Amino acid sequence: MGKGYMGKILRVDLGTREIREGALPEAFYERHLAGQGLAARLLSEEIPAGADPRGPGNVLAFAAGILTGTGSLFAGRWTVAGKSPLTGGWGDANAGGTFAPAIKRCGYDAILFRGASEAPVYLYVRNGSAELRDAADLWGRDTTDAEEALAARHGPGARVAAIGPAGEKRSLLAGISNDRGRIAARSGLGAVMGSKQLKAVVLDGNLRIPVHDRSEIKRLSEGCNRWVRLQPPFLPGPAAAYVGSLMRMLPMQMAQDGLLYKILLKKWGTVSMNQMSVEMGDAPVRNWLGSSADWPPAKSLSVNPDAVIAREQRKYHCYSCPLGCGGICRTARFAETHKPEYETVLALGALCMNGDLDSICDLNERLNRAGMDTISAGGTVAFAIECYENGLLTKADTDGLDLTWGNTAAVVALVGKMISREGIGDLLADGTRAAAARIGKGAEQFAVHAGGQELPMHDGRNDPGYALHYAAEPTPGRHTLGSQMYYEMFQLWRKAKDLPSPAPLYFKGRKYDPSPEKAVMAAACTRYMNVANGAGLCLFGLFLGAHRIPVFDWLNAATGWQRSPEEYLALGGEIQTIKQRFNIAHGIDPASVSLPGRALGRPPQQEGANRGRTVEIEEMRGGYWREFGWDPQTGRPPETGKAESGSSSAM
Amino acid sequence: MSHHIGETCDGCGACVRMCPTGAVTGAKKTRHAIAAELCIECGACGRICPRGAVTDAFGIPCEAVRRSAWDKPRFDAGRCVSCGICIDACPARCLGLSEALQRERHALPFLAEEKNCLGCGFCVRECPMMAISMEGLKK
Repeated sequence: MGKGYMGKILRVDLGTREIREGALPEAFYERHLAGQGLAARLLSEEIPAGADPRGPGNVLAFAAGILTGTGSLFAGRWTVAGKSPLTGGWGDANAGGTFAPAIKRCGYDAILFRGASEAPVYLYVRNGSAELRDAADLWGRDTTDAEEALAARHGPGARVAAIGPAGEKRSLLAGISNDRGRIAARSGLGAVMGSKQLKAVVLDGNLRIPVHDRSEIKRLSEGCNRWVRLQPPFLPGPAAAYVGSLMRMLPMQMAQDGLLYKILLKKWGTVSMNQMSVEMGDAPVRNWLGSSADWPPAKSLSVNPDAVIAREQRKYHCYSCPLGCGGICRTARFAETHKPEYETVLALGALCMNGDLDSICDLNERLNRAGMDTISAGGTVAFAIECYENGLLTKADTDGLDLTWGNTAAVVALVGKMISREGIGDLLADGTRAAAARIGKGAEQFAVHAGGQELPMHDGRNDPGYALHYAAEPTPGRHTLGSQMYYEMFQLWRKAKDLPSPAPLYFKGRKYDPSPEKAVMAAACTRYMNVANGAGLCLFGLFLGAHRIPVFDWLNAATGWQRSPEEYLALGGEIQTIKQRFNIAHGIDPASVSLPGRALGRPPQQEGANRGRTVEIEEMRGGYWREFGWDPQTGRPPETGKAESGSSSAM
Repeated sequence: MSHHIGETCDGCGACVRMCPTGAVTGAKKTRHAIAAELCIECGACGRICPRGAVTDAFGIPCEAVRRSAWDKPRFDAGRCVSCGICIDACPARCLGLSEALQRERHALPFLAEEKNCLGCGFCVRECPMMAISMEGLKK
């Protein structure tokens, strides 16, 4: 047994029902950490090139991070990984709740599933003893219902991750839910679980998680928590919108310190940005065609942060989180439901011009129970509305739904059909790329996705860093790897001395200059996030800034290693190359992944916060790929040798 | 590192019922054994054993203590950050979350199943904020 990690993985073959343990040497963890890095390395070797993502050849990994269970804060994220049926390339997603430490308390760093079962099953693990059990009675039930049934069967210590009807029906938008609606939603990996007829993973462990120096970790955690506790009063919810308005109007902006965002997260959660983001140009409106001018504060007032937390009964903390940005709400329909996140409110709200908060809260719960990604679901509904408005879909196609902008009843009904795959719902349940291909008639122009994955609710026309990561990652269309604002908030230059510090105040136009320095910053974000995903850390903790959240020191204290931040970041770069190589091996041409013109300001918008802005994505992408030692034109890592050696950065 | 059961064990089974990980096995009225890979060194077997047959990982004999006198966790609400680490660390699953407190609506951990508490102190050991202490009747 190592330190910080358990040193073992569990392999389950659902076809033969064989279950066996495997050990990993310390050198493996030193090179790949655990969590996503572990999964990237193992799955790259174990998933055959060209494997059908929804076939038995795909391998699905449930992995915990190195820092989970060590006394580090913000270390409650678990990762699911496999070949994504949504993008056809590397797929991963992560979620909070209490599932991450359960993996390690059962004695493992990861559980890998291969093959496919002939009948519905679930895996039950109790302290290193695992068995597959019949799940016929659970098949067809929603994620929360199945979780409650399994918790009743296996006791209060059982932690459950399950798919719902979306995963069972192999929807490409399906995710995996734990803790009654914390959902690893992106990349469509719920469909992989559904294709294997694996309904749930139930973990009941109470083994010890080894730590090299627990008292040092506690000392570091206490220091970090002092920043989390700092919570001065802030404006009332509706007034927060005008902070965004001010940011829109000023010609300059300040480098962001994440401490401000921490204050918002602790007060309201991610919904703090519901109005502010629209005002400052960060949130897309009306399927990315609209702007802040179409969704002014008067219209978005119904989803202001105070309105959301008026429904909140108590704060919700994921495992090891001192912040508690989540919340348990009560709505007219549900006695207990997770507070919707910003992404959900915007995807089912402004993106569809829907201002009805009650409908958004209810759809959030219904989608969590179905096990379907709210970002992609909202993006697909907005796509369908635009198709309808432009005559590509008619009432005959929509089963009578009047799919117009802002028609709340139609949005609710359409999501219901997507969950059940009824009528037009079957057409849309696999996302915008698949639906556009089936509709034809030029519908692709309305499909806002990157490499098949619907874009999140952060606009690259406001922060080109988002556009870059949406387009240039092995996991396209994801907002959790980097942006220019993330770099400012991460404050990595305080730890890795050769990284550049951004100007404290700058003209907004500078954001659109594809300079080599921005490529260095973007690559640093990605390297850092790859380390964080190997450690099991939450992005929101990282926003505190690297001088306030001791990521590298925690890792050293947990493992006994003595490594510098630069060494950890270099390792994050190697994980990135592993994921990119995975995509190349599976036939993805990185250069073919593009963003729709409207997400790049081609043509530029005529009004709103991002008017006149265009993102020079090709130049940015080339510089970014070069930072990892990949070909700047093709995005291909070199065939042999260490890819990172070609990096021009200071790593 | 694991606890160990010595020759004076009479196979009464008290430790089997206590062990939270199922590490102790053995036929009734025969000497029991602890599976090292499952032992988490909570010490419950040693505290419950009426024969004094259990030694800890260092070979030191464990002393039996009357169950009602086992220490229990006490939570300092002023230091607690609601992170839930203690709830996860508890091998006996005896901690729960309170209702939301009025001011900031954060729930706090408390000893929900007092009769199941093993007095192991794992919650104290893992709490990153040093918000928990063990208190109880002295022997």
